[in-house]
Amino acid sequence: MTDNKIYFKFDGKRYGGNKGDTIASALLRNNVKLVGRSFKYHRPRGIYTCGIEEPNALVQIINEYNEPNVRATVKKIYEGMVVKSQNRWPSLKTDFGSVNNLLSPIFSAGFYYKTFMGPKGFWKNLYEPLIRRTAGLGKPPREFKSKSTHLHHNIDILIVGGGLSGLLAAKKLAGTDKDVLLIERENELGGILKNSNKVKSVNDQKTSEWLEKTERLLKNSANIKILKNTTVTTYNYSNHLTAIEDRSVGIEPDNKKSELVLHKIRTENTILANGHIERFLSFRNNDLPGVMLAASFEKYIQRYDVVPDNNPVIFTNNSSTFSLLKLLIDRKSMPKAYVDVRDLKKIEKETLDLLEAYNIPFYPKSEIEGCDGNSGIKNISVRTKKNKIIKIKASMLCVSGGINPDIHLFTQSKGLVKWDEKILTFKPEKSFQKTITLGSVSGNFIFKDIIDEVNKKLNFIDGVNDIDLKIEVNGSEEFNIKEIWETKNNNNSLWSKSFIDLQNDVTTKDLTQAIREGFDRIEHLKRFTTNSMGTDQGKISSINALGIVSKLLKKSVSEVGTTTYRPPYNPVSFSAIAGRSTYEFYDPERKTPIHPWHIKHNAVFEDVGQWKRPWYYKKYENETMNEAVQRESKQVRDSAGILDGSTLGKIEIKGKDALEFVNMMYTNSFTKMKPMSAKYALMLGEDGMVKDDGIVCKINDNHFITTTTSGGAANVLSHMEEFAQTEWPNLNVYLNSITEQFATFNISGPKSRIILSRVFNNIDFSNHKFPYMTFNTFDYLNYKVRILRASFTGEQGYEIYVPPKYALTLWERIFYYSRDVDLVPYGTETMHLLRAEKGYIIVGQETDGTVTPLDLNLNWMIGKKKKDFIGKRSLTRSDIIKGDRKQLVGLVPVDKSYGIEEGQHVIEDKNIPSQIDKPIKMLGQVTSSYFSPTLNHSIAMALIKEGNRKIGSQIYVSTSNMNVIPVEVVKPSFFDPENKRLLS
Amino acid sequence: MLLIKCPYCGERDQSEFTNGGEAHVTRPKNPEQVTDREWAEYVFIRSNPKGIYYERWVHTHGCKKWFNAVRNTSTDEILLTYKIGETPPPIKKFQNTLKSPSGEPDVGSGNFTVKKL
Repeated sequence: MTDNKIYFKFDGKRYGGNKGDTIASALLRNNVKLVGRSFKYHRPRGIYTCGIEEPNALVQIINEYNEPNVRATVKKIYEGMVVKSQNRWPSLKTDFGSVNNLLSPIFSAGFYYKTFMGPKGFWKNLYEPLIRRTAGLGKPPREFKSKSTHLHHNIDILIVGGGLSGLLAAKKLAGTDKDVLLIERENELGGILKNSNKVKSVNDQKTSEWLEKTERLLKNSANIKILKNTTVTTYNYSNHLTAIEDRSVGIEPDNKKSELVLHKIRTENTILANGHIERFLSFRNNDLPGVMLAASFEKYIQRYDVVPDNNPVIFTNNSSTFSLLKLLIDRKSMPKAYVDVRDLKKIEKETLDLLEAYNIPFYPKSEIEGCDGNSGIKNISVRTKKNKIIKIKASMLCVSGGINPDIHLFTQSKGLVKWDEKILTFKPEKSFQKTITLGSVSGNFIFKDIIDEVNKKLNFIDGVNDIDLKIEVNGSEEFNIKEIWETKNNNNSLWSKSFIDLQNDVTTKDLTQAIREGFDRIEHLKRFTTNSMGTDQGKISSINALGIVSKLLKKSVSEVGTTTYRPPYNPVSFSAIAGRSTYEFYDPERKTPIHPWHIKHNAVFEDVGQWKRPWYYKKYENETMNEAVQRESKQVRDSAGILDGSTLGKIEIKGKDALEFVNMMYTNSFTKMKPMSAKYALMLGEDGMVKDDGIVCKINDNHFITTTTSGGAANVLSHMEEFAQTEWPNLNVYLNSITEQFATFNISGPKSRIILSRVFNNIDFSNHKFPYMTFNTFDYLNYKVRILRASFTGEQGYEIYVPPKYALTLWERIFYYSRDVDLVPYGTETMHLLRAEKGYIIVGQETDGTVTPLDLNLNWMIGKKKKDFIGKRSLTRSDIIKGDRKQLVGLVPVDKSYGIEEGQHVIEDKNIPSQIDKPIKMLGQVTSSYFSPTLNHSIAMALIKEGNRKIGSQIYVSTSNMNVIPVEVVKPSFFDPENKRLLS
Repeated sequence: MLLIKCPYCGERDQSEFTNGGEAHVTRPKNPEQVTDREWAEYVFIRSNPKGIYYERWVHTHGCKKWFNAVRNTSTDEILLTYKIGETPPPIKKFQNTLKSPSGEPDVGSGNFTVKKL
């Protein structure tokens, strides 16, 4: 094809557009006016605006990324783009759901809250699927693909908006030593100069000429950076703003390039020059395709050279529509009629002259009663000042209900706004942060005043000079407006509605009804009616709602107040937020030095914090987890097993006062402990609850090494740091995380001593020389290893600490020396089973932050003679020493063939009624449960009320199939309670 | 996102820090000798005012140092940061940031967007 057209498809049909067209401007170019169906009533909807504020024209882009809810008025077309309308079935023209419109009496405000209350089960099975099919917006992509990056800026001044005032601010700052970032939402600078016909000339030049010169000047200023196609979405505390840049404007998304950039901006001062948004008016069928905001109509002509309709009717209550009138007349498109709510005396002379000169039907002090048509406007009814209805045949209606400064970002910054009775809108009153508003966002609608405003408000900045500007406008500079929010309408047919929120299908009747039902606070009313809760956040209508509500409540708009404007300013793609942090980059993975070996030996991994830990090893392809765990467990007890414990947190504590510090941090006493010995220790919070456990190794009084749980390492270190820095800064202690400085292997089982004696043949591992809970450091080959005699399985066991770079070789060496002893690698699940057989707790499994050492029967771990340690005082609080707390016990099924399920309730009564109408008395819960291959039956640990007193008695445990099984309460130590194997 | 001045590193983004609750809550010298109520005051009870609050922060993803800050809880402004061990400035010094007895300033709290007439 040789023409310069860009071709795209909308609902299967091919259309051509110009380069730079949005989907909306291209559709209007092809005279397509019906683009979607509404959210609730499935009414036909068209293109209402020409920008970010669009409530109606939401479409779906079909491609690899499947973008839903795209505003047709913002998204630029690219060659081959496939666009579909949303919310319709089977097709846009014949939509099945539009029957909802006729059912509208039941879809009134609060409909969801009131209607779908029962019967039970109907919500899940009927209502929700039904609503999801008929209501709602586009379809999300099937797979999440992020193609965005994040950029950070630390600057002096941010200018939001590259319109007239933004450009003037930038010009003033050009050449200063301030770092300036200018952000423009559109692909071109200019704002109002591009969007409308209002400004005739700037400094005696055509606006386009002046724009070109100014842009060149700014581009040549080393201190100014310009970002286009970028929307500021969030204004946070401390002048921190985020903006989203679209880098795929007018091009097809590409896998290799980032499509969106999230800019995180920290600035000293923010200049908001983000302009205004025109608002609409409510009248009968103000949602019909063909109704469009007047300034948007003008923007289509000015920016895209598309005239949406040659002979529209113009309906206004203010002076801003003059420029549209003039533009149409200049282009020889005569409006069908000009309807102005204002009194003849209030209408500016320029408008009257123009209307008269071109003989355009003119209705002063009149209003639009409504429009009619099936899928677009056919007739427009005007109520004249004499209350007569006149019908005009036309297919488009341009509406202007006034101008709202776009205060969204300003209020996000926590600035205060004030209602202005003259321009009938909210405007910024007082900044909270270092925020400056310029131009129409500050409520200044007079062009010739802008330069003074810019000079006055920016002169505090070092190094700026006053700048001049001569501006000539089309028509009158004055702005006047007459208050009107909704026109009177005659027709009360079911189909006729007067909308206040187009996207959420909220009618003005809904507002009345909500107030009648008592929702007269604006925040309540918003949520009850869902007014302004769509993706457009009511940008063209929320102020109108306040106007209507204030009239209904007979209060001033100030008293009614606004709802809170919350970030983001417009919908933000998850992809932009996610940036590079997706899939494998979402969270770092920590791997031990043995990881490659685990993979080679078919380990199945478990995530523990960020660590990848072997959960169990598959011996053969179809081995289940249960089979593997039973096999591994048995083999550890029969011969020996090895666990990669490198993930265990390790903290080094050094300093003159290390002993005193460790004594405070843990419940145990370390004073009389011999150097080079170890202790199983408990750490509590000040509330007396178990926080962590681990082994404390004492090298000497000034040097300790402690281990923590794998997941708790960072928390334990910061808990220690907190006390060291804030409570006892006088103590001389230094804390250091050495988790990654050592790989750790736990070897346990009756044959572990044999294995170690072979690997380290110069060390005497006899009980006499190397007793339980002692450790030492040895030279081995060309490095050092630390070996600790300790066990978490109840078997004879050793922990080997080795520098990571030698770890894998040593691990393989151990296997080499164990060829004939049947050493098994085991994972965390087997470790859990083995420790449960011994009744050892796991912090986070047996404990949940509400369990004291006394509840766990670990009284022996509390240094009785210690005057103080963290949490000690809490252990004698009245509530803690009450006898009825839950205590840790063991459970064994009476019928050994039964299994106990983890997490089940422990109850006293064996009968669960088939119909549960009152709570069943619960004694506690099962915290751990396993099938022990050594004992050949199920074993469980549970926290139950007054557990110690119940030992020997029979109680019941619920099951997932609504049954109970009888269990016997035993001491939580099922295997080798005398510790013969441990100490062997 | 707040900008917080670590007394050791300078101004950094809030995301580098962790809040540590109220500052200047002293651990009883002899825990064994205090009553349950006094101990509970130390462990559980915090003042939680609307307005000026002395609190602790730690520069978690930085120097890992704890420090104190004075924050206006109704506007989230961090008015001052100072090192552990330094004497806290008197509350009077910050009173002028508050506009009403309840601590509700007329701008910045987010509760009132519209200027009251």
